Amino acid sequence: MDLLQNLYTGFSLALSPTNLLFAAIGVIYGTITGALPGIGSATAVALLLPLTFTMNPTTALIMLAGIYYGVAYGGTITAVLINVPGDSSTVMTTLDGYQMALQGRAGPALSIAAIGSFIAGTISTILLMGLAPPLARFALRFGPPEYFALVLLAFSLLTAFEGRQPVKIVISTLLGLLIATIGLDVVSGLPRFTFGVPQLLGGISFITVIIGLFGIGEVLSSVEQEMRLDFLRQRFRLRDVFPTWADWVASRWPILRSTIVGFLVGILPGAGATTASFLAYLSEKRLAKHPERFGRGAIEGVASPESANNAASIGAFAPLLALGIPGSATTAVLLAGFMIWGIRPGPMLFQRNADLVWALIASMYIGNLMLVLLNIFFIPGFVAVLRIPYTILMPLIVVFSTMGAFTVNNDLFDVWLMIGFGVLGYLMKKLEYPVAPMVLALVLGPMAENSLRQALIISGGSLSIFFTRPISAVLLGIAFLAYLYPALRWVVRGFRLRVATAANLSSARR
Amino acid sequence: MWLAELLGGGVVLVLGAAVVVLSRQLPYHAEYGPGPGFLPFWLGLGLIACAVVVLGDVFVRRSEHEGAFFHRGIRRVTLSLASLIVIILLVPFLGLAIGLGFYTAFLMRVLGRHGWLLCGVVGVLTVFGIRWIFGSWLQLPLPTGILGW
Repeated sequence: MDLLQNLYTGFSLALSPTNLLFAAIGVIYGTITGALPGIGSATAVALLLPLTFTMNPTTALIMLAGIYYGVAYGGTITAVLINVPGDSSTVMTTLDGYQMALQGRAGPALSIAAIGSFIAGTISTILLMGLAPPLARFALRFGPPEYFALVLLAFSLLTAFEGRQPVKIVISTLLGLLIATIGLDVVSGLPRFTFGVPQLLGGISFITVIIGLFGIGEVLSSVEQEMRLDFLRQRFRLRDVFPTWADWVASRWPILRSTIVGFLVGILPGAGATTASFLAYLSEKRLAKHPERFGRGAIEGVASPESANNAASIGAFAPLLALGIPGSATTAVLLAGFMIWGIRPGPMLFQRNADLVWALIASMYIGNLMLVLLNIFFIPGFVAVLRIPYTILMPLIVVFSTMGAFTVNNDLFDVWLMIGFGVLGYLMKKLEYPVAPMVLALVLGPMAENSLRQALIISGGSLSIFFTRPISAVLLGIAFLAYLYPALRWVVRGFRLRVATAANLSSARR
Repeated sequence: MWLAELLGGGVVLVLGAAVVVLSRQLPYHAEYGPGPGFLPFWLGLGLIACAVVVLGDVFVRRSEHEGAFFHRGIRRVTLSLASLIVIILLVPFLGLAIGLGFYTAFLMRVLGRHGWLLCGVVGVLTVFGIRWIFGSWLQLPLPTGILGW
């Protein structure tokens, strides 16, 4: 009954005209930016975050969350119509979505993606409602050692899931932690790495870093590639947009299975929507009676990754709300927003700010409903917006980024920092150093350091405190295995390669 | 690409070393546990260790790091970045809103070869948009130039 009562309170807040308006702004802006290649969900949220400083936190959060899951919907438009994923979470959609568009079935591809995302979003929101409150109650048992172990687990899972070049992921994480140490040390009051610059005493704002890395960094990368969006010319009459009964029959189970896969992957720190869509697509291909259809325009190949990425976006809210631990760059940006509005996500959030949490959850139902309607009935409108040349959009993104950085402290110093981090983000992308771990580490850095120091103060300097407490020991054990995973994978791959080479050699000798 | 990877690893190595040296100037221990120099010291050591692995990989698997680091589009990147830097330097004379309006129009003209009229209109709309959203709505004290805007 508590659940229904909370949900009722949430809906009564989310359905207020102001919140409905900002939810609509969020999902429309999210769909448009999601469709623009090079602007991911983290960038989209970071660019509008400075505008929310003076807003009501509930309204601001509803809008930013709308952007977050709107991006996943929007990314599908370019994935299907120009074979370019708007967001990394729609990479798998290009495989069958574009083939469907070439066969003249762009409408059903886009609508099944929207319907799948809507079903996944709704089921995931129900799962989030069921999971987040008990998780928050469980987290009440956490002390400094457990929080330190949890942060380490988030970092380690990034290393395990990101795949290639784990050392570069660790470097990115360490750089984020290092930037977080700049400024006055909260315990001793001593300045660290400020070099006499007064603006650095308060530390480097993560908003500035995020806007620089994602906004300016991504723009510079896109400018270098001289991006052009050449859309397939397709007619979008309403009767051509809806999937056929056969399309629906083929997609319904993949949508449900991918929702579960997506949600489970989404709640893991470090995994995210991209991994979820990848895993869901591969598992559907494996389960299919005719896997050879995948990659040639199978509608399940669109329904499955699209359902999974939306489920993962919603699932990622569970650790953010219940534990205060973001699992991806976008949820890290949202955590930054929470901090700016003076709200601390974590176990106490469900008690101290219950209205905000339940309004957010209720807004997810509303936002997903808005998105499915927008993405079925207004596709031609979005395509028209996306025909605006990138050479007009790009300077405007820079303008918004610059204003966002300036807004942090009303100081041009932050704009210079933003430019510096923009160049860093651009170079990191070129050298294949991922920037997401840096953002995650930057946002979680103060919590990591404070938890570590508090734990060591409690134990009188002994590291045994991390291994003698069961929750902390289990979390650290998983973190250790996650860090070891890339090395194990490398060893196993090398072993398989040697076995295969030996088998080839022996068959050649015969 | 090989040289760029080498330089990237080198920068991380030097940064790690600098962090270790600078963190030694901060107290490692405090009265009740680790001091302000504790975490930076270990972060610096971690960066050094990772940089050694990256540099080792670059040397051992040199053939896998072939290819050009800068492409033809680097001119466009330099232009976008340099013009932004110049505009921010000119903010005391132009003001932030007008400066960013110029930036928008300039890049549209140079990168997109759009017509003067379109560039001018978008530039002017940018100036008014900034003044309206950030100046009037959010009531931020925007830096003004000689025109008072």
